[in-house]
Amino acid sequence: MSHDIEDIQDCPADSRLAGHAPVCKGCPGQSLCSSQDSQADPDQEIIETRLKAIRHKILILSGKGGVGKSSIAVMLSQMLANDGCKVGVLDIDICGPSIPKLLSVEDQPVIDTQWGWKPIVSPHSNIKALSVGSFLASDCQAVVWRGPRKTALIRRMIKDTLWGRLDDLIIDTPPGTSDEHLTILKLLASTRPEGAIIVTSPQKLSAGVVSREIRFCQKMNVPILGIIQNMSGYTCPCCSEVTEIFSDGAGEYLAKKYGVPLLGSVPLDTSILKAQEKGSNIENMYPNSPFGVSMRQILKKIQKVLEK
Amino acid sequence: MSSVPENAPEHCPGTNSEDAGKASACAGCPNQQICSSGATRAPDPDLDAVQERLSSVKNKILVLSGKGGVGKSTVTSMIARALALDESKEVGILDIDICGPSQPRVMGALEEKVHSSGAGWSPIYVGENLAVMSIGFLLNSKDDAVIWRGPKKNGMIKQFLRDVDWGTLDYLVVDTPPGTSDEHLSIVQYLSSSPPVAAIIVTTPQEVALLDVRKEITFCRKVNMPIIGIVENMTTFVCPKCKTETAIFPPTTGGGKQLAADSNLQLLGQLPLDPRIARSCDNGENFLTEEPTSPATASYKSVADQIVKFFEGQS
Repeated sequence: MSHDIEDIQDCPADSRLAGHAPVCKGCPGQSLCSSQDSQADPDQEIIETRLKAIRHKILILSGKGGVGKSSIAVMLSQMLANDGCKVGVLDIDICGPSIPKLLSVEDQPVIDTQWGWKPIVSPHSNIKALSVGSFLASDCQAVVWRGPRKTALIRRMIKDTLWGRLDDLIIDTPPGTSDEHLTILKLLASTRPEGAIIVTSPQKLSAGVVSREIRFCQKMNVPILGIIQNMSGYTCPCCSEVTEIFSDGAGEYLAKKYGVPLLGSVPLDTSILKAQEKGSNIENMYPNSPFGVSMRQILKKIQKVLEK
Repeated sequence: MSSVPENAPEHCPGTNSEDAGKASACAGCPNQQICSSGATRAPDPDLDAVQERLSSVKNKILVLSGKGGVGKSTVTSMIARALALDESKEVGILDIDICGPSQPRVMGALEEKVHSSGAGWSPIYVGENLAVMSIGFLLNSKDDAVIWRGPKKNGMIKQFLRDVDWGTLDYLVVDTPPGTSDEHLSIVQYLSSSPPVAAIIVTTPQEVALLDVRKEITFCRKVNMPIIGIVENMTTFVCPKCKTETAIFPPTTGGGKQLAADSNLQLLGQLPLDPRIARSCDNGENFLTEEPTSPATASYKSVADQIVKFFEGQS
């Protein structure tokens, strides 16, 4: 016997309706939600204390995987650190943490002090980093966790971490619009993140998925600082012909459709890929790379928005 | 599967045990409330219904990666199309990427809506012998954000498996989101109750991708999911002007080939990055019939052949 197709409705997991809304009937998580919704968060005070010591909290979102969120998060953090800012990078991609490799902190453990976790400092840039990758015994170790356990870890990464005073906290996220995203927004809600940077690739297929992420931000009242279109064009090293490998135009299309600034288009630059994998400071190693030049222009635009 | 979940605290008594939710080890576990309520001990009434539906689906292929953006959806659709070239076979695509469903666009079915009948939900037919189901078809608008936590996503996946009326299928190809989380645990749990099922793992050559893909291989081994092999996508880029092949994502640690050797797995194929493939996917066209002489077409057909041989060897 089949069941009727219901209208797809939002999960109210983070509202007062959690577990009680009509859409909750039959949901496997209903009893968990309805037992928790009336409780105030006992950790709220310490979370706020931690977050108030951080001037700017910027989320790097996409919805689509593989568009370069982590690469862009790291590049932004390195540029800000090069400019003398106190920067932290929080990697909440629990299944696929890329930050330890890109910031060259793979072999360093997170130290658990009596006051909390000490983030690891990247050797090539003065950046504090925390990622689940730093807790794993080896590269092959898989973190196969369902939502609630991922949520619990992300809370600890804010509540129990000694970020200290920072100018900027860049938050790298996994693809999607699910537990991790809801959790981090709920944690940041009282101290209001500055906003989200949305990364897309030029392809129409990306636009379809990334538009959902934009709608997610709008629904959750997260300001969107702008869109970055990554992997825009590849220059053939032999004949210098520039090919739009992933077809073109998603960034501009999304910016126009949702009334959001297009911060810029960033090329696919193989010269920096090897440096990225080594966790090097890209701007220091390749001062005039096409990737770096585009990203610097984008940073200027972001800073203008943040100053307003 | 054991009743002690993968993510359980140490000394978890197991979700089916009398002590579920009540043991001292349960304190602080996010699932404590559900376990102590007794909900986890009740047998899942839908499991029988899922098994019945899957009894007419012969061979199930999970397309996994761990890393996003390597081309799982592209590879899923191309493999399904390649399998469907044999007109005597019935092929289905199930898209369980609930936050980022790509199959409606890639298969040229963006405007379609799902209809239900007494027999269940009808999948969308994009060819005589090729059907697709995705949450994309259930959404009211093309850019609706599906903001669901894990349990609700699991519920949807179960509904797909319970309610979609595939009829008799020779192959069901399942497109997954990146990662090793709720969706992956759920689909493995349900499909494993109805063998044969096996995975193909998609990667791109660079180490940042391999990092995540190694975890996916670990995941498959932990849940006893057989792996047919590895497919390396975007191995080289062929410049449309001068035809030089470049390794666009340098395989600094040996790429998919080394990964296959290290993990004792077959390398099923190395697919080039052909800009025409991206355009075909954007427009929902069948690249295999649009560009029959492309090396990429030959590679995809070869991967499909190896999948067929794998399942023939199983029966």
